[in-house]
Amino acid sequence: MSAAGTRPAPDGPAPDGPAADGSANRAAPGPDRAQYGLAAFLALVGVLTLVDSAGLRPGFADQVVQPSAFGYVIGAALVLLAVLLAVATARGDRAEGEAGEDVDLTQRTDWRTLAGLAGVLVATVALLDRLGWAIVGALLFAGAATVLGNRHWVRNLLIGAVLSVASWYGFYVGLGIPIPAGVLDGIL
Amino acid sequence: MDALLTGFELALTPENLLYAVVGVLLGTAVGVLPGIGPAMTVALLLPVTYNVSPSAALIMFAGIYYGGMYGGSTTSILLNTPGESSSVITALEGNKMAKAGRAAQALATAAIGSFVAGTISTVLLVALAPTVADWVVVLGAPSYFALMVLALIAVTSVLGSSKLRGFISLALGLTIGLVGTATGQARLTFGNPLLADGIDIVVVAVAIFAVGEALWVAAHLRRRPLEIIPVGRPWMDRADWRRSWKPWLRGTAYGFPFGALPAGGAEMPTFLSYITERRLAGKHKAEFGKGAIEGVAGPEAANNASAAGTLVPLLAIGLPTTATAAVILAAMQGYGLQPGPQLFEAEPELVWTLLASLFVANTLLLVINLPMAPLWAKLLRIPRPYLYAGILFFAVLGAYSVNFQWFDVALLGLFGALGFAMRRFGLPVLPLIVGVILGPRLEEQLGQALQLSQGDVSALWGEPVAVVVYALIAVLLLGPLVLRLIPGRQGPERLEDRVDELEEEVRR
Amino acid sequence: MTVVVGWTPDARGYAALVRGAREARAHGEDLLVVNATTGTAAVDDRFAAASDVTEVRSLLASLGIEAEVRQPVVRDVTEALLGVTEEVDASVLVIGIRHRSPVGKLIMGSTAQRILLDARCPVLAVKADDSPR
Repeated sequence: MSAAGTRPAPDGPAPDGPAADGSANRAAPGPDRAQYGLAAFLALVGVLTLVDSAGLRPGFADQVVQPSAFGYVIGAALVLLAVLLAVATARGDRAEGEAGEDVDLTQRTDWRTLAGLAGVLVATVALLDRLGWAIVGALLFAGAATVLGNRHWVRNLLIGAVLSVASWYGFYVGLGIPIPAGVLDGIL
Repeated sequence: MDALLTGFELALTPENLLYAVVGVLLGTAVGVLPGIGPAMTVALLLPVTYNVSPSAALIMFAGIYYGGMYGGSTTSILLNTPGESSSVITALEGNKMAKAGRAAQALATAAIGSFVAGTISTVLLVALAPTVADWVVVLGAPSYFALMVLALIAVTSVLGSSKLRGFISLALGLTIGLVGTATGQARLTFGNPLLADGIDIVVVAVAIFAVGEALWVAAHLRRRPLEIIPVGRPWMDRADWRRSWKPWLRGTAYGFPFGALPAGGAEMPTFLSYITERRLAGKHKAEFGKGAIEGVAGPEAANNASAAGTLVPLLAIGLPTTATAAVILAAMQGYGLQPGPQLFEAEPELVWTLLASLFVANTLLLVINLPMAPLWAKLLRIPRPYLYAGILFFAVLGAYSVNFQWFDVALLGLFGALGFAMRRFGLPVLPLIVGVILGPRLEEQLGQALQLSQGDVSALWGEPVAVVVYALIAVLLLGPLVLRLIPGRQGPERLEDRVDELEEEVRR
Repeated sequence: MTVVVGWTPDARGYAALVRGAREARAHGEDLLVVNATTGTAAVDDRFAAASDVTEVRSLLASLGIEAEVRQPVVRDVTEALLGVTEEVDASVLVIGIRHRSPVGKLIMGSTAQRILLDARCPVLAVKADDSPR
């Protein structure tokens, strides 16, 4: 792909190439370093799968395909793909983010909004069993809308409350699925 | 034929008709709304399958699928922001037409073309699917195993720009499919009893399609508003009809076979249709690039025909080839239905009701959408904080409703992060979902095949169909390599590059 | 000194624009036309299309007014407008307002009211039906 191909490719998630390499054409961005992280993640999942498969007991006596067989194949494939990805990255392969109607890839990643949304989701998980869906759902909607840039948090809370109570009754009456009511047990 | 008539009877009951209307409306709405597609919508609606009859749910999902295709064309024409790769081509001429004051005609030829293509393709589907099912039902486990491998390889290596990334996505999906209990032993559960039954496909699908997408968009939100072209009720005059009907038929001829192939998808047929129409345009050739109606009629028909085409492998063999088809397959499995040849024998009523309702949905789309185009454009004024907060809200509700455990919501968050990372690193989503769904079935078929042969591996290529399928796989994988090795010949161009070139050429 | 106009491509926006142009010409000042959006929706009817902007530019040029049109994408339209008046040390800020029922005002709040309360420069509020004489 680029001149970097002449260099022996490092195997595994290796540090980036010599700094002199990129100096010839400053305009072209260096390797997509985050991709080494992805490769490391793939290798980790692959090794975990292999270890897990090795820990399985053999299946029934007449079973031809052992329970561990697929795990071995997939785990090995993951490790191999991780190596290939690391090599490709070192040779200048860059990831192309997914485009979309609402996506503007020319701007930087908005980590603040992302962190806010992650916080809202974590809070949802933490509170869900304690407070019940009707309350947590409202907080989830209001929190997410506020993080995403709508500052009318009172209005957001109201809409969230309407949505979550309506969805609770929708499941209960429409689908016949009783969602646990949590602290509002007896009120809803 | 009798079966189809019975199907119509059942499809036209008030309850099923209502679900068809809801599906079509919802599908068009999400097709118009930026950031939401039919796959995400069907995934978010998977919880309704817990208590709605299978036929009603499938009718609604089919309506969403068809409606989403149509809604996407509306935004391509009015806003010039093709959300899905299949409507990139529509935007080329459609938006030019709209800018020249012919938005109403562009929308009309898209809607009527979709109807024509959808109806013809559904007729083909009705004729073909049972035949294919009859043919597949006699196949043994080895052939079935080979077909599934073909489907996995096809969605992984034919679509998308990078095979490496396709296979990474597939491997991750297969790993997720491993989680759970196999022959009494827990695999990849890390001793957690909550994982013993495996990870629910609802959680994975909702996380990857809805949460991952919402996070990805939130991190890269396009802030500058888009210019929308005002439009009234779509209509066409006699000259437009005369110029449109042939492209509709040709587009259908391209779309259906491509959709029906395991390596389906709508990009290729829309592209081919556009090229063909430009070549055949005759005296209207100069209009291409400035808003030629043929360039909207053909690709739009191809687009919808391929959507119907993907239902052939889905219903007759049980192989999904698009993201939406994959989620519909997950819904069917949730009902304990196994799509494929057995379905036609075990649940003929369900299958024929579904097929009949496709005709109904198609007609509804035309009747509802032609007068409602201006209304759909209004949806674009919904503030996005509410839109994406709503997606997260329904995603969490969907995951929570699986077992009413916080654990599933935590998994939703984790896989949502994976969905975000996949979009960041350009990993295609489809191979992962197909891997999660087909992985366990692949293992089952392999087990059956080898059980019968008592461990003799050669049984895997013991059936002629299996041999043919393996040959096809070899062609798929090695074909591009061989072509590149032939001296004096350039490697096959990527479809994306060619579409980009075409865009450059037209936009100049 | 500069006349700042809060402009939207609708009746009251044009009323404000016309009034602002007259002010600028009468006092020989520059004109700064601001059309801000928060960009929360994919389509914002109050954000002018490129063709509208071109039209306004040529209209003002034909009147012999030195005008600049800005279309910032901001977190808060009111704040952005007030920020611009301070940045250019505006002599007057012209805005278009519409009639609102008391209930409507209660629910939606009022951009105009916030501008009137927070602005540091004089504010000229024009009504849309106040057609230029």
